[in-house]
Amino acid sequence: MRDTRRTRLTLGILIGTALILITVDHRAAHGSLLAPVRDVASTVFGKFEGATSAVTAPIAGFFKTLHDAPGAERVITDLRKENASLKTQLSAQRLDKARVAKLDRMLGLAGLGRYRVVPAQVVARRATPGFEDAVEIDAGTNDGVRTDMTVLSGEGLIGRVVYAGPSTSTVVLLTDPALSAGARLEGGNELGVVSGLGEAGGSDNLIKFRLLDDAVPVAVGRRIVSFGSQRNTPYVAGVPIGVIERVEHTPGELTRIAYARPFADFSSIDVVGVVTQAPKRDPRDSVLPPVPQPAKPPAPRPAKPSTEVWPPVEARPLDPGRGPGRELGRETGRGATDRERERARHEPGPEASPAVARTAPPANPQRHAREHPTVAAREHPLADARQPNASPDARKNARDNPRPNAAANARRNAAADVRKNALANARDDTADGKHRRQDRRA
Amino acid sequence: MLRNLTAALLVFAALVIQAGFVNRLSPRIAPDLVLLVVLSLAALRGPLPGAVIGFCGGLAYDLLPPADHPLGQYALVMCALGWLAGRLGDQLPLLAVMSCAVVAPGLAAGLGALLGDPGVSWAVLRAAWPPIALCNLLAAPVVLWAVSAPHRRRRPGETESMRGWRRGMA
Repeated sequence: MRDTRRTRLTLGILIGTALILITVDHRAAHGSLLAPVRDVASTVFGKFEGATSAVTAPIAGFFKTLHDAPGAERVITDLRKENASLKTQLSAQRLDKARVAKLDRMLGLAGLGRYRVVPAQVVARRATPGFEDAVEIDAGTNDGVRTDMTVLSGEGLIGRVVYAGPSTSTVVLLTDPALSAGARLEGGNELGVVSGLGEAGGSDNLIKFRLLDDAVPVAVGRRIVSFGSQRNTPYVAGVPIGVIERVEHTPGELTRIAYARPFADFSSIDVVGVVTQAPKRDPRDSVLPPVPQPAKPPAPRPAKPSTEVWPPVEARPLDPGRGPGRELGRETGRGATDRERERARHEPGPEASPAVARTAPPANPQRHAREHPTVAAREHPLADARQPNASPDARKNARDNPRPNAAANARRNAAADVRKNALANARDDTADGKHRRQDRRA
Repeated sequence: MLRNLTAALLVFAALVIQAGFVNRLSPRIAPDLVLLVVLSLAALRGPLPGAVIGFCGGLAYDLLPPADHPLGQYALVMCALGWLAGRLGDQLPLLAVMSCAVVAPGLAAGLGALLGDPGVSWAVLRAAWPPIALCNLLAAPVVLWAVSAPHRRRRPGETESMRGWRRGMA
């Protein structure tokens, strides 16, 4: 043995120290005793280790790349495959989601109006410019769909069923020129007829709204709901149709024409619902979408104020210092105030500017005339003899009240009569359209 | 004094490189640089310095941050192996380093098993020992050459007998 005594002693001391250290550290349950030593060591070594890692990171990366190289190609192929399948799934999901959203909206609308609907999907579409505009849906008589049922989407009225097969049905769209439906301005009783314009509707798929009372102010931005047909065939009441976009000034005509933008997007119809059962009560305006909060600035309107305020003569009786008598004036004034209130209720928003409200004609002239026969007569002195369709009543009124305002009154009465007739026609109009359609098909 | 400082620096560098580079490069199977540096130094300098260097290096290895074994485990193993390498390294330093490098993983694992390390079992040892030993064997000549390089350069004319004498002095 070449080991000196010193070497042996040192070795023994060192090994003993190591054993003591091990024992202490082992018994102290994770080094509560030696924790400070470990802390210092970790601080010192940690700094140097960090520096080393930073310096040697590129080398480590290089070796790692070399190490991974054999499997990398396979991994890349696998990832590409997975990526493709995931992408397919994602796009399918996106489509599904859009479809679900549409169905949800449609069901929401149907629930709002308590319509009972059969959901369906558009499977084919035929659009001959200016001639017909129809879609095929994947629900038929087996699903309870019958001819002359209303079809709606999540946004509003779509059209009606003209032919119901066993499993598919044909729906004529609202934009079809041959289609017309009774409609009603939101909030009032003003009635009219909407009909498609076909190609003339332009890319916005505008529809024509013929208002049967030319004295009713039609403001841009008012909305239209379906009026409902007799026994709810072919149209149920209360389905949102569209919002008025442009008003045509037609002096001398008995009806006013406005162009409305449909709520439903006719260029992309997907999920629709066929109303198989109408609500027991007319939902009126409750199905309309909420009024857009940031009210649009009034769209460009015809220059003539008469579009909004018609007739301007109406303002005069409200002037208390003028007119046939204070008594009458007050009465008229009260009537007007009531009307104002009514109007204000129906026309929230900036369109109902004070000036318009003050001078606006009655919402329902017929009723107004009925309730205030004398006042109404005195308001409108001049009989409008040129009015060809004026009813005998109106002419008689005009003769009996040879005051200047009578003319307007007569004209009003005449208009009301015409409106009554036209309304009756409007109800038949849709049926008429159907006949035309059938003729055409034949 | 300079030799001791150089040894300390070498061990420290080995520790840092081991933890910051080698283990990250291939975490499972890698040469144990610290062990090899300690064994090389011991083989070049003799049993007593070998034991001291082994103890200090092992203690530092125990303290190296990512450590989850009782403090002193590697100190004990390396102290014993440093003394052994110093004893055997008199004639054939490379053989001493290589044999100790092969034995070391088993010794450390055995001590861990004695101390109740749950990770050590025969299956693990059988699977892990040969590759690690092989790595150590392959790296041993390189490390020995690198560690002995300053000795050779600084004392080109030194004879074997003188070195032997110096080794005894520690």
